[in-house]
Amino acid sequence: MLRLRNVSRHIGGIRAVDDVSLDIPPGRITGLIGPNGAGKTTIVNLITGMMPLTAGSIHLGGTDITRAPAHRICRAGLARTFQNMRLMADETVIDNVMIGFHRHDRCALPAALLNLPSARRMTATLRRRAAAMIAEFGMERFAGFPAGGLSYGHQRRVEIMRALASDPAFLLLDEPIAGMNDVEADALAAIFRRLAAEGRGILLIEHDMRFVASLCDHVHVLDGGRLIAGGRPAEVLRDPAVIAAYLGG
Amino acid sequence: MGQWIIAYTPLVDLFLLHLGFAYAQYIVLRAGVFSLATAGLAGIGAYTAGVLAVKLGAHPALGVAAATLAGSGAALVLSLPLARLRGVYQAIATVAFVQIVYSVNLWAEPVTGGAMGLNNIPRTAGTGVLAVAALGTLYLVWAMERTRLGRAFNAIRQDEAMAATLGVDIVRHQALAFALSGAIAGLFGALEAYHAYALDPGQFAFPFLIAILSYVILGGRNSVAGPLIGTAILIILPELARPLAENRMLIYGVMLILVINFLPRGIADSLILAWRARRLARPEPAAGEP
Amino acid sequence: MLAQQLLNGFVVGGVYALFALGFTLVFGIQRVLNLAHGAIFMSGAFIAYYTVAAGGPLWLGLALAVIGSGLISVLVEIVCFRRLRRSGDEEFGGIISSIGASLVIMTIAQRISDTQVLRFPFETFPVIIWRFWGLRVSALQLFMLALALALVVVLGWFIYRTAFGRQVRAVTQNERAAMLMGINPVRIHMQTFFLSGALAGAAGVLVGLAFSSIRYTMGEPFLMYGFVIIILGGLGSIPGALLASFLFGMGQTMLTAYMPSAISGLNEAFIFAALFLLLLFRPHGLMGREAAGALRGRR
Ligand SMILES: Nc1ncnc2c1ncn2[C@@H]1O[C@H](COP(=O)(O)OP(=O)(O)OP(=O)(O)O)[C@@H](O)[C@H]1O
Ligand SMILES: [Mg+2]
Repeated sequence: MLRLRNVSRHIGGIRAVDDVSLDIPPGRITGLIGPNGAGKTTIVNLITGMMPLTAGSIHLGGTDITRAPAHRICRAGLARTFQNMRLMADETVIDNVMIGFHRHDRCALPAALLNLPSARRMTATLRRRAAAMIAEFGMERFAGFPAGGLSYGHQRRVEIMRALASDPAFLLLDEPIAGMNDVEADALAAIFRRLAAEGRGILLIEHDMRFVASLCDHVHVLDGGRLIAGGRPAEVLRDPAVIAAYLGG
Repeated sequence: MGQWIIAYTPLVDLFLLHLGFAYAQYIVLRAGVFSLATAGLAGIGAYTAGVLAVKLGAHPALGVAAATLAGSGAALVLSLPLARLRGVYQAIATVAFVQIVYSVNLWAEPVTGGAMGLNNIPRTAGTGVLAVAALGTLYLVWAMERTRLGRAFNAIRQDEAMAATLGVDIVRHQALAFALSGAIAGLFGALEAYHAYALDPGQFAFPFLIAILSYVILGGRNSVAGPLIGTAILIILPELARPLAENRMLIYGVMLILVINFLPRGIADSLILAWRARRLARPEPAAGEP
Repeated sequence: MLAQQLLNGFVVGGVYALFALGFTLVFGIQRVLNLAHGAIFMSGAFIAYYTVAAGGPLWLGLALAVIGSGLISVLVEIVCFRRLRRSGDEEFGGIISSIGASLVIMTIAQRISDTQVLRFPFETFPVIIWRFWGLRVSALQLFMLALALALVVVLGWFIYRTAFGRQVRAVTQNERAAMLMGINPVRIHMQTFFLSGALAGAAGVLVGLAFSSIRYTMGEPFLMYGFVIIILGGLGSIPGALLASFLFGMGQTMLTAYMPSAISGLNEAFIFAALFLLLLFRPHGLMGREAAGALRGRR
């Protein structure tokens, strides 16, 4: 369970996130929706240690990760994608995915410094696993392409592969289907379902309500940094407060 | 043939020494640390070896080992405060470090010879030794590139926040890059001492810093071939014609401005990217799909 | 004795302020360090010297130095920073290309002066010394202080009282928002570089007069001290740089005056070690708010 308790973050005078408590259970896809500027991305930044909290606490399983540095949080089993994609633009797709394996990229320091056989084997293994994952996402053709030259939809998939490479227990997806067509989105939906079935907890941030409703059992609604509703997608989307939040912008 | 070798030996030696310094600078830049400390680290190495040789008559091997250790030790210590700084702040802090080394060197006259420098260092490092050291360094940098270290350095350099969320421990990796850079700078500092008979503190000050930086900027700071190409060009260029040698600093200045503006990745990196783009542009039409 | 040292330090601080204000102004507005600032400072001293050497009066030399250094500074902006700003690599690239510009300017000065130390002819500035309350003040010192304060006031007026200043501050705070408000950042950048260079040029003339030694390398120590001052004040902060200049001027004078001679050779080392500690424990200085250690995004 990924547990947020009374989490707040103030930026300048703005309460970007204000007293948010929510649980992200394993094996489920939890939705987080809200109008632009509601604070969704900020919550992901807080969970992944990219930004310090103003108040509150975050626990992953039994461990307190409230103040842990970002790389520790990753090693504790958390991965994310970025809404404004952050790929290494000049590097190939496979190299971008390989960096996602960093958590498992182990070999003794001398071996790494001198590229001894054990280090070479490690590189070969990771390259194979990255290639397999790229094939699974239907992108073999682009494996040797610089990531910066790909379409939005493809770049999003590279982001997801890179996050998955660390084999996270919890995956935070910030608008993963923005810029994709329906066919691509459906393919991803199937993958997300499978990941949840494997026991991973997923937090899905999306503006496409149809997509959210089809995947999530539980949806939280954020507006002005505060949670204003939560429950089954169908109920939540009928909630007058939620409708008002979206219409009121 | 023999004549030719004798005539060009000093040039080759100079190239090999500076190649080492260029890689010391390259390693930190590649790991995303904007450090200009190489000059100071090289100075520490050179004086460690020089003092051991002149004042204590130590064996050169001991001097080289001590210099390498001193360089990496100093770099490791320096990396602690630098880990808390970024960008221009790192640049300023490392320039301050170079100044501190220079000032202490001037002041500690009984040990370092002060402004007079150190003289009568036995000349033990010839072209062969320099070549071995340069090749070793080249292999290390090349090898490291292909392992988890190279991958992590790459990620850190391009986007630290992204690297951190992927589990890369930035502080550790940058400290490692620093220690390596210090070891290489210290080693080549020692070789410089054993090669040149004499040392003076001004040798490792601002002009040195600029020269080393120029090699890496011109050649390219993200691929192993970069410093090699940059150093070769800038060492050989002044030999081609007298006016080039007399205007060395002017050429460096103009070159830095032009390269960083019009070829910001440097020669090697730009060639590699262009080559890769061409290779991708050719085959199957599907590859054109954005 | 102490009072005398403080007075001397205060005067030096005024000159540092002229140097550092432009340095920090450019950083504040462009997030770049202009490492050619020391060379621009030196060019001011050169212009004034050659004007006087050619028979011109000092005031003309000073005026030409201020204008000339300002123009050189604008040239540096156009050549070194403009393209990089568009490509978004001005932090790293700007340092490199301004080092390049510094080398070019210094080489030219070296050629012109034939690597010699230049001195203003004797009595270019009348040597008058007043004594009161046991203190010794020269007319030159008063002039330095008066000019420094006058220029600082002019700068303050520009930044805090004019439409230009409002635009500068808007661009400093948020360039994109400023552009949306219809401010042309290119013009603002050129104007700030001119101001910055003009102040540095004036500082160069004063230093040339006070120490009577003008050399193509004279900008280097000032660039280093400039680092200390603008970090102490908080990178980009104008009031911070002003305060830090006087603190640094007085601190440095005291250090020189009272350091036991056995370790007085280490004064420079102490200054830069202090800079190091400052960067460690208070990297945003006295009045800055820049996140010195924040993780960097895409490069
Ligand atoms: N680094 C920052 N500096 C200043 N303000 C910020 C920063 N990050 C977020 N904010 C502010 O915090 C609020 C929440 O932003 P956030 O990006 O989390 O919204 P969001 O719900 O992800 O919106 P969107 O749907 O557009 O992605 C906004 O008002 C934004 O302006
Ligand atoms: Mg968002």
